[in-house]
Amino acid sequence: MRTFRFLLRRALMVIPLLVGVVFITFMLVRVGGLDPVGQLAGPTATEAEFAAIREELGLDQSLFRQFLIYAGNVLQGDFGESWLSNRPVLDDILGRAVISLELLFWGVGLGTLVGIPVGLRAAFRPNGRFDQVSRVLSLLGFSIPTYWLGLVTIFVFFYLLGWAPPAMGRISLLVSPPPTITGSYLIDGLLQANWEAARSAFAQMVLPVLCMAVIAAAPIIKQTRAIALDVLSSDPIRYARATGLPERVVRRMVLRNSGVPILTYVGTEITGLVGTMSLIEYVFAWGGLGQYGLNAISRGDFTAVQGYVLALALFSVIVFLVIDILVYLMEPRSDLT
Amino acid sequence: MSLLSVEGLRTHFISRDIDNRVRVAHALNDVSFSIDRGRILGIVGETGAGKSLTAQSVTGLLRPPARVVGGKAVFDGRELTAMSDDELNTVRGAEIAMVVQNPRTSLDPLTRVGDQLVRTHQVHSGGPVATSRQRALEMMEAVGIPDPRSRARAWPHELSGGMAQRILIAMALMNAPKLLIADEPTTGLDVTVQAQILDLLRDLVARLDMATLLITHDLGVVAHFCDEIAVMFAGAIVERGPVREVFRNPAHPYTAGLIAATPERLRSGERSVQFGGPPPDLYNLPKGCHYRPRCPFAGAACHAAPPELETTPGHRALCHFAGAFDRAQEPAE
Repeated sequence: MRTFRFLLRRALMVIPLLVGVVFITFMLVRVGGLDPVGQLAGPTATEAEFAAIREELGLDQSLFRQFLIYAGNVLQGDFGESWLSNRPVLDDILGRAVISLELLFWGVGLGTLVGIPVGLRAAFRPNGRFDQVSRVLSLLGFSIPTYWLGLVTIFVFFYLLGWAPPAMGRISLLVSPPPTITGSYLIDGLLQANWEAARSAFAQMVLPVLCMAVIAAAPIIKQTRAIALDVLSSDPIRYARATGLPERVVRRMVLRNSGVPILTYVGTEITGLVGTMSLIEYVFAWGGLGQYGLNAISRGDFTAVQGYVLALALFSVIVFLVIDILVYLMEPRSDLT
Repeated sequence: MSLLSVEGLRTHFISRDIDNRVRVAHALNDVSFSIDRGRILGIVGETGAGKSLTAQSVTGLLRPPARVVGGKAVFDGRELTAMSDDELNTVRGAEIAMVVQNPRTSLDPLTRVGDQLVRTHQVHSGGPVATSRQRALEMMEAVGIPDPRSRARAWPHELSGGMAQRILIAMALMNAPKLLIADEPTTGLDVTVQAQILDLLRDLVARLDMATLLITHDLGVVAHFCDEIAVMFAGAIVERGPVREVFRNPAHPYTAGLIAATPERLRSGERSVQFGGPPPDLYNLPKGCHYRPRCPFAGAACHAAPPELETTPGHRALCHFAGAFDRAQEPAE
């Protein structure tokens, strides 16, 4: 009951947030100097044709009126159609969300699985050799531009070494995708015992997931190290040492006491990585939500951009909610308020 | 033979400055004292004098860049300062128990207090968990925690400061220690709670025949609670002896100044010894007697390192003019 009330309250708090997101995105794309009309009309269009398109899209109305119309439609679950593809934005987003989540999940998962132990080990022996090596690597991961990392891994592992398949989407062109169950080729292939599809989907995924993992792991290593060092010099750990608890017990305590701050950090990082992921998707022709958003922005597809940003906001809200619940479960001092 | 005897303990903080020159903070310079079973030794001194550092050096809890560079601490026939961390872990929390100054933040926030008591007992004494549980309840009872059974299920953040300190004391008692080190155990507590905790400690010490090292900056606490006193200044014990004797006849000018500066003495209108001044720079201690720059009685002799002189049996002071500083020398100007 308490949990339910908490969830309800959180859900209600999200509403003004989303209204703000919708409003700001709506206004930003319109005052941002993008003009979709030119692209839609083509180079030979006359003034009259321009005006007709403008009227059709409703761009001749006042900004405020346009917003009210859009907001009214959104409230009824109608996110509009992409002006360039004429497909409903909602369908596009739902279809591509799974594709992106798949990449995000494996990338961040791998990055976290590597980053947290590395950061912890570095913290247990600060300034040791392991710490120094991991610090340099993490700095490197921080500083490498995402698209450059993508291009270089393709160059090395596909072009030079020939270990990876060409970076052309989520499954080899020669393999037919398995029928959709979840939308992830890998999982669908495995579920349907379509090993060929699963194998190809996996091979396609290796490089982009590795790139995501590198970019995710770098700050996780740094943060985990800092958090664990903090915990190591905190009163409970110093007291634990004073009461003669053996090192392995102390380390388990450090791990547990670092859990909440690390989890919180990873949560915020995930929401930030969504932006980074657009570039990875772009380089590897992944065809997910990030690539969709990037395309929509560069081509002035207003409804698509609005839908994309709203989807990201919703994603962040959900991630934060999940983190809050996990923290509540891990931390006796927290209260569901 | 004393339970714990510390001889010539020296601890330095060794670091490098921005130009990579080695800098040494002489935090402990020749600390010697001993303590017997059933006795309570109070260590007093101003902030930075090295009280807590002495306890940390003895128990091997120093963290870099602090390091014991000389002297030794012998506990129950074993040399603590020569032990590995693993060996020390079998002594700490078992034979030497600690009570620290921030009880509320020192307990593991993610473990129920009863489980923490059990954990300490399991780690050091082993045996069936049920026995440890039983002992935890008994110890909680012994330190005056009402309804131990339900308190054992509490989280640390649900305890008041006084209650948390009682838990820490119970934790210290879990493995029947021979030596209890209480590092400012009442600093963060209300005055009434302070008194309760001190009474509790005194009662337990008498009943359990432990030796106790009480670190404090409160002379009143020492006067009421301790058998012996050691006064620290600039990383050295400048005076030590039986409490009554030291309070009646302070042999070191610093001790005399401390005692004269207690509220009771100030109110009674006794002539106050000139006192105060900046804490000494541990990176650059004055030559000879370290108290010289602040000492109103300092003379030419004080430029040489002072000897430790015994004025009456067991009462020693680190001063050229121990016991006679105010007669031996007229103020410098």
